[in-house]
Amino acid sequence: MFDFFIHVASIACLYGVLALSLNLQAGFTGLVNFGLIALFGCGTYGAALASGMGWHPLLGLPAGIAMAALLGLFYARLGRKLSSDYWGIATLSIAEIIRISVTNEQALTGGAQGISGLPLLFAGLKPYDGVARLALYAAVLALVWLFCQRLVKSAFGLSMKLMREEPQLARSLGYDLDRIRRVVMLVSAAIAAFAGFLYAHYLTFVGPDQLVSPETFLIWSMVIIGGIANNRGVIAGAFLMQFAMAYVPFVKDALDLPTDFVAAARLIIVGGGLLAFLLWRPKGLFPEKVGGSNGR
Amino acid sequence: MFQFIFDTLIRSVDLALIAVALSAVYSLIKFPNVALVQYAVVGAFVAMSLHAAGLPILLAGLLAALFVGLLAVLFNVLIFERLLKVDSAIALIGSLALSMILSAVFLLTYGPTAYRFKLEVTPAMRILGARITDHQITTLVVTAISLGLFALVLFRTSLGREMRATATNGVLAAATGIDTRRVTNVVVFLSGMLAALGGITLAMRGSVSIDLGTNMLLPVFAAAILGGLGNALGAVVGAIVIAAAETVVTNTNVGPLVGADFYFLPASYAPVASFAILVIFLLFRPRGLFVSEVSRV
Repeated sequence: MFDFFIHVASIACLYGVLALSLNLQAGFTGLVNFGLIALFGCGTYGAALASGMGWHPLLGLPAGIAMAALLGLFYARLGRKLSSDYWGIATLSIAEIIRISVTNEQALTGGAQGISGLPLLFAGLKPYDGVARLALYAAVLALVWLFCQRLVKSAFGLSMKLMREEPQLARSLGYDLDRIRRVVMLVSAAIAAFAGFLYAHYLTFVGPDQLVSPETFLIWSMVIIGGIANNRGVIAGAFLMQFAMAYVPFVKDALDLPTDFVAAARLIIVGGGLLAFLLWRPKGLFPEKVGGSNGR
Repeated sequence: MFQFIFDTLIRSVDLALIAVALSAVYSLIKFPNVALVQYAVVGAFVAMSLHAAGLPILLAGLLAALFVGLLAVLFNVLIFERLLKVDSAIALIGSLALSMILSAVFLLTYGPTAYRFKLEVTPAMRILGARITDHQITTLVVTAISLGLFALVLFRTSLGREMRATATNGVLAAATGIDTRRVTNVVVFLSGMLAALGGITLAMRGSVSIDLGTNMLLPVFAAAILGGLGNALGAVVGAIVIAAAETVVTNTNVGPLVGADFYFLPASYAPVASFAILVIFLLFRPRGLFVSEVSRV
């Protein structure tokens, strides 16, 4: 039971990092990205590439971040002419194209079976390896959080928020919206790929099933429920959602429900949670702090 | 060749009804409602249940379409009117959430298996060398009639004039005494019916399972955006283009390109064709082939 708790907390930390990445885009800059999971996938397949090529496992990280940066730049390029709803659909399509290609290119990616046998982090520290990994992930989460806080409170962060609230005004004041979008996508893509790299070395398995679009919507629910544009809030959302999802099977066993219940309950938790918060508490559990000293 | 044209036609018919519905709603309330593809699945399931209960197929289909139309209005009033007051992107996320909830409902009521209509299966006819089944003909007729009726309503009735006025300039339309909320809900009702008919015709020729909606999502969006979101009949053209692209991708022998005699891309690449067209269009011609939307930031 304790091991399971450690496991869920570890995954929640990694999803917290992903939620922070999405929060930079959607929360602070107003970029409605439905293809976030593909950026994460760049990280996991970067790790898989290093393993398949026989490189040092750490080389997977720059490989993953490089792929994610390219994809992020492409997303940003697409966003130049599109309003947010169109861009959401476009990014969703690209993520699906990538997932389908990865599934079909057997030789390159192992196809639907994926690639297994990646080295597990801290495998030598048994029986305390789980705790060690959790400590690492929590430290990474804290660092990414600190970085995001610094970023959104900087002058650049203010321009991100201006772009979200009043794009015309921002442009008239001489802000280069394309550049802001590019930088935000590059930074958040790198963060997402980093989470993917850690995730790949946690599960020791990489496959296209990890890249289905409901995963993106799960991260969205974390952001919306936790509190869009509040970094602490989205981390809380990530933990809340991961634990809610993880304990569904126990409810099923306790109440002796059919197996379909697990999948359905997860859909309802994500979809229902999203909808309920959008309707009744659109600012989430921890609303964005507007104004204030901005730490400067 | 005729087989190719016919395959394309049938596939575009699959997409056309839902894409037209999506586009029509978008023209009024300015957000792409993802849940429409799930309305199609609701329509198929309800029609199937009614048919299994002993109703003739035509009546079952019509009742199911009416039911889905009402359901669409209900969701619009309860959910989307409120979310749209915030932002269209928020409404888009809300419609995604609604589709997930509907998926869960399907999963709990019907389970993960695929269902079929209990219809007689007749051997395929041969027309000009192409294999054509009864149900394909029925689908074509149903689609043509519903799209024809929809076009008639849109262009030949005073209701249609009000719809077009509201779509072009909602504030002005309201100022001239048009009840824009009523007009919007009528369009939402019609879109629900169209989507349901789309789902039912799909189910008649194959089967319906809970992931039908998610599989249709991006091709339908591609067709609607290609036709210019908000231009209802442009979506028909969009559907034909997407269908042709999908059929070409899966039926072309690319063997010479890779140095083999015969090499066909796996069928799972068919959706990639439509998504790729969608992305290319969004890159270079974001407002679609025809039209009409005001340029945005």
